[in-house]
Amino acid sequence: MPQVLVPTVCPYCGAGCQFFISVEKERATGIEYMPEHPASEGALCSKGNASLEVIYHQDRLRYPLKKTGDGWARISWDEAMDLIVRGLGGALKKFGPERVGFLSSSKCTNEENYLIEKMARCLGSKNIDNCARLCHAPSVVGLNRTLGAAGMTNPIPDLANSKCVFIIGSNLAENHAILSRWIHRAKDSGAVVIVADPRMTHTAWMADIFLQLKPGTDVALLDGLAHVIIKEGLIDRDYIAKWTRGYDELVEAVRDYSPEKVSEITGVPAEDIVRAARAYAISPASVILYSMGITQHSTGTDNVQAVANLALICGHLGKPGSGVMPLRGQNNVQGACDMGALAEFYPGYKKADDPGTAKFFSSGWNVSSLPVGRGLTATEMIDSAASGDIKAMYIVGEDPANSDPSSNHTRDALEKLDFLVVQDIFMTATVQLADVVLPAAVWAEKEGTYTSTERRVQWSQKAVSPPGEALSDLEIVCDVANHLGLDFDYPNAAAVLAEINRLVPQYGGITRPRLDGMGLIWPCPNEDHPGTPILHIGGFKLQDSRASIVPVQYRPAAEDASWDYPFVLTTGRVAVHHNAGSMTRRSPSLIERDPELFMEINTADAARLKIADGDEVLVTSPRGETSARARLTDKVKRGVVFMPFHFPGTNNLTSEVTDPEAKIPEFKVSACKISRRD
Amino acid sequence: MPVYVDISRCIGCRSCEVACKRVHGGKGHVNVHMAGDHASVPVFCHHCEEATCTMACFTGALYKDGERTAFDVEKCTGCGLCRLACPFGVVWSDKIAHKCDLCAGRETPTCILSCPANALSTDFELASRRARTRAAMAVAYGGRR
Amino acid sequence: MIKVDVNKCLGCFSCSNVCPSQNITRTETPEKRSVNWKKCKEECDLCVEFCPAKALTLVPYDEASPETTVTYDLVSCKICGERYATEPMLKRIESSLPANLQKDSTGLDWIWICPVCRRNIEAERATKQLVLGRSRKSP
Repeated sequence: MPQVLVPTVCPYCGAGCQFFISVEKERATGIEYMPEHPASEGALCSKGNASLEVIYHQDRLRYPLKKTGDGWARISWDEAMDLIVRGLGGALKKFGPERVGFLSSSKCTNEENYLIEKMARCLGSKNIDNCARLCHAPSVVGLNRTLGAAGMTNPIPDLANSKCVFIIGSNLAENHAILSRWIHRAKDSGAVVIVADPRMTHTAWMADIFLQLKPGTDVALLDGLAHVIIKEGLIDRDYIAKWTRGYDELVEAVRDYSPEKVSEITGVPAEDIVRAARAYAISPASVILYSMGITQHSTGTDNVQAVANLALICGHLGKPGSGVMPLRGQNNVQGACDMGALAEFYPGYKKADDPGTAKFFSSGWNVSSLPVGRGLTATEMIDSAASGDIKAMYIVGEDPANSDPSSNHTRDALEKLDFLVVQDIFMTATVQLADVVLPAAVWAEKEGTYTSTERRVQWSQKAVSPPGEALSDLEIVCDVANHLGLDFDYPNAAAVLAEINRLVPQYGGITRPRLDGMGLIWPCPNEDHPGTPILHIGGFKLQDSRASIVPVQYRPAAEDASWDYPFVLTTGRVAVHHNAGSMTRRSPSLIERDPELFMEINTADAARLKIADGDEVLVTSPRGETSARARLTDKVKRGVVFMPFHFPGTNNLTSEVTDPEAKIPEFKVSACKISRRD
Repeated sequence: MPVYVDISRCIGCRSCEVACKRVHGGKGHVNVHMAGDHASVPVFCHHCEEATCTMACFTGALYKDGERTAFDVEKCTGCGLCRLACPFGVVWSDKIAHKCDLCAGRETPTCILSCPANALSTDFELASRRARTRAAMAVAYGGRR
Repeated sequence: MIKVDVNKCLGCFSCSNVCPSQNITRTETPEKRSVNWKKCKEECDLCVEFCPAKALTLVPYDEASPETTVTYDLVSCKICGERYATEPMLKRIESSLPANLQKDSTGLDWIWICPVCRRNIEAERATKQLVLGRSRKSP
């Protein structure tokens, strides 16, 4: 039997690596690397290498299910659709589309995300969102406002051209591993690497300057860097004069952020702040990479704007080796946002509260009217479910019961819904709460496009068939939409892509025939356009082509250590796991390498609490409690503890306070107390 | 020529461990060790010139094949003496032995292809060349930090 | 029938692995290893051929002979205390290797240390220079 090699896009992080799945006798038997890939050069992190372990796992959902008194009953697709018409359709009729919520999946393809938001809006609901709300919503809001576009400004291989790499709030060595090779190439050519993180991570191992700041003090640090750069005259005057507006307000705003004052707030030595500022400003091409450490805060949007400000006053945009790079976590969170599965945006980032947007899409979709106005975000949907305002929800490929903060509150909220239908590949904690369960296909079992963090749109091919009666999300969504009275006639993903080409200007030229191979980078407005690897070369897509410098002031995080809760808990990821862990905790190669929830605690703090390495500890916050295995280390400073969120339990503790604009929860700063579990 | 690590590049992602295990039917030959608080290094078979595992093996299953320390599974009886004879603890034996075979039959060892940080190579001089280049570049930039 | 010279047996399980008729059984606990040779009537001599210590011979079947069982306490690693090998096996390694290869560059008798500790020591040795250098660099 000949072995076929099928090119697919890795289902894990946003780096967008591709690899071949070798298929023999209709089974996925192995992986072959793809050395031609521009971002990965064939490399794969541990998660990518273990990805096949998910496909044939015994826990895969194979059949539609309905909840019975004490368990689940297998039902047919027809019966599932009937239940959905009665439950979801019923809620739409009885309570109105305002009281129904839709959560799309940042793991599904662009085509699937596009259809889910189209379905929600054609049914009259504004309440469509995806888990970007929990990760890069501040980037979507903040970068659209400052730079006119929300996405990595330069491509991944371009990192090698940089002379100063500033990594803040990102542990890319573990979570976007392939970026490391490009950063090391930059280092080999003389680049300085600056890393800012409360924790000494594997990423910090690459650093020449390490800024170990207190969780939640990023604006102070960034304003402090801007202060030094302005004071020492290291700004790029020509660039500011030509391409920005708002510089004078920034000068005023950072006047008081002297290195000494910032050092007091952040805990970073003043001379390091000066060194870092000089290194960033003096280098001919500097790049800033950031991720959850910047966004998952009640000041997330401010943090992002402060990052953009730094790049703007030094002119480090629109040229090789420079840029502002939000590192998107999920394989298709960039695409889910591009396709408008967001409460405040339609596809292509057209604003939902602009009547012109509704007009454009009513004509494009051939419907008489569409809702105008910003809908409920993912976090607001949960609160509204708790208060009884949202009556029914359709959740695709999302696990709010594990991913949202304050898990106890989230679970209670979902249980209160009249009707919940969840579409997924495994019985996650969220699926457990559903009334109807729809079994879906994994990445290898369907085709479509995914947009990586460098805005590269790639086509992933189908390698094998889904198990049992599971179907691709595209087929399921069309089925649901048609049963609810819409007319979704799409024979395959390519047909949906053709519609996307027509209605999303940034994807205009990203047509199916052009996508065999390494994909295209948006904006790509027409079929002759080669794609746009570097953004903002000739200015910004804002008024007068000028970027907006938006000054921000430091505000402390919502919670701080107190008498009752003396530790600051910060959360994050580890290399062998991914997000809520539903896939990686089921992969033997990965779970054996990091088997359980742990807590990193400073050695001196542990000694005071009489906790030894390996002890089980009880961690409690105002929202709940959980157990964890203690790991004594000096990676974190005194007063700070770290827990990964890949295991259920961490989010029992995290704070639900959100950023006022982007509505992202403050996962990165919670107060807690710790005791040995004896 | 064994696989060498540029330790300044190792990010502790354990991709080499998982990849090695995947292509060897579930039995891998790499272990990544964490050193200090944030450094890491995978420990590989050194393919020693004076390979003690080959000296302990009484059937000739382990033997030197040029620079590579090779293993012929047909001759192995699972006695486990090789496991005890390796000073670096990188030979395993459980009913049958297994160790790094430099992915015989493939063009390049899998770990080298898979490493996201491009830290692995069969070129011994690579790490020191890179370090020397970095130092030279730092001087060339006149300490502009 | 198998005759065992218990003074030569290493406790390596080689004979048990190669026996095609399950006549040699073994047990292993974290502390001990035992091998039990049944009184077989087979004609093959795989166990004799594949015993590294040449401890086995074939003799005519004798009803009166008892079955032989041999038990070894596993030796503890000198660093972590984990039990990892039988003493005869470790002594055999000593006699298979030239003296100059039995101590590592720091003079450590690595044979009496378990494979896990050996890997750790190697990892420490490899990274020591770099880690120390980095920590000295930070103010």
